[in-house]
Amino acid sequence: MSADLQTACRINIQDFEGPLDLLLFLIRRDELDVTTIHVAEVADQYLDYIREAEELNLDIAGEYLVMAATLTRMKSRLLLPVERAIMEDYEDPMDSLMRHLVLYRAFKEVASELRESESIWRDVFTPPGERERYQESVTEVDQDQTSLLDLLLALENMSEKNAPPPEHRIRKPLLSLSECVAILDRTLSTDRQSKFIDAVGENADQAVVVSFFVAILELVKRGWLTAEQRYPFAEITIKRKEERWE
Amino acid sequence: MLDQLARQVEALLVASESPVTLERICELTGCGTESAEQAVQRIEMELASGGHAVVVARLAGGFRIVTDPDLGYIVAQLFEGKRHSRLSRASLETLAVIAYRQPATRAQIEAVRGVNSDSAMRTLLERDMIKIAGRQETPGRPLLYETTSRFLEYFGLSDLEHLPRMDEMESLLKLSADDIERMASELSGDESDQIL
Repeated sequence: MSADLQTACRINIQDFEGPLDLLLFLIRRDELDVTTIHVAEVADQYLDYIREAEELNLDIAGEYLVMAATLTRMKSRLLLPVERAIMEDYEDPMDSLMRHLVLYRAFKEVASELRESESIWRDVFTPPGERERYQESVTEVDQDQTSLLDLLLALENMSEKNAPPPEHRIRKPLLSLSECVAILDRTLSTDRQSKFIDAVGENADQAVVVSFFVAILELVKRGWLTAEQRYPFAEITIKRKEERWE
Repeated sequence: MLDQLARQVEALLVASESPVTLERICELTGCGTESAEQAVQRIEMELASGGHAVVVARLAGGFRIVTDPDLGYIVAQLFEGKRHSRLSRASLETLAVIAYRQPATRAQIEAVRGVNSDSAMRTLLERDMIKIAGRQETPGRPLLYETTSRFLEYFGLSDLEHLPRMDEMESLLKLSADDIERMASELSGDESDQIL
């Protein structure tokens, strides 16, 4: 780890308003241009920073890790040859990240301009008008500021307070694991193999399917059964391997 | 010395608790738009030449008489402990996105900022800087947010056209419109848009 990275990490990750802010910081620090940055360079810088922050046990929000994953993916893409056919409508993910960075930077700059206006206009005071005298008796509803949704919101708040506590119903499991195993044992006693769907029954509901699936996983683990699936979502075929399941 | 019309307008500006629009001035004094505008200008000149501590500000689509910011340090003492704190960076960024891209859904805002903006949005709603503008007629019908006239007043803006760098921001947003929608739809998939 380089010395300046160490300094950089000491700049608390909490000081950043998210991964884009951090990226802009790293780019500016290295005096790179947002529009010509090289993805590998930026990715390395960013990942180093995150790794370092992790080592320092800093609390890193999920968004930072998502960006780390995105950059890693972009970087690994660079290593893969891109087929010509795909090239046609292939958009470099870096282009979209760059656009995003430029957009975010613009908002960041505008936000700091707003900050300046705020500090000027905070020092500006207005005569109170006749606010106090007329406000107590009638609360005037500013049509501009009130919407149907405000009413709905108020209603929702009230109904939430008065509503009875929600009911939770705990359902007894329909089939226990041992029941599933017993059924499978019976099914595979004459024919030694069966399709999953036949063993479970075609009209079985989700809970039953899951129970059987877990039972089968358990049996496979114990080596009493093998299960085969040729490709994702294909039929699962189960075969008895051991005679006695005990 | 101010003429009768200018005095009437000045009285309106002093007594109103929100900016008074040109139309409202015309309605209440019975004068035309042009004379109302000129009356405001005469008040401005009178205040300036007399070295007064107040000025006419163009705020949120209307006019308002306000104290000179130079005297803020004196007046602020009247309200010590009662003043709102400054908005945080997160709130300002969030507000900026909503201001230029309103009405906006939370997912669109978060797509631009790249981070969760829940607490910033809550602050902005509480402080009356943004309000709910309805729902977007897309799957999930997410809530839409827009800025309020309080927002304009707070930042001393006469209207949304006077936001800083309006043209630049508009063309940038146009350039990234598809990106924002794509990222927003990715975001809204795993989050329920509940009322804050």
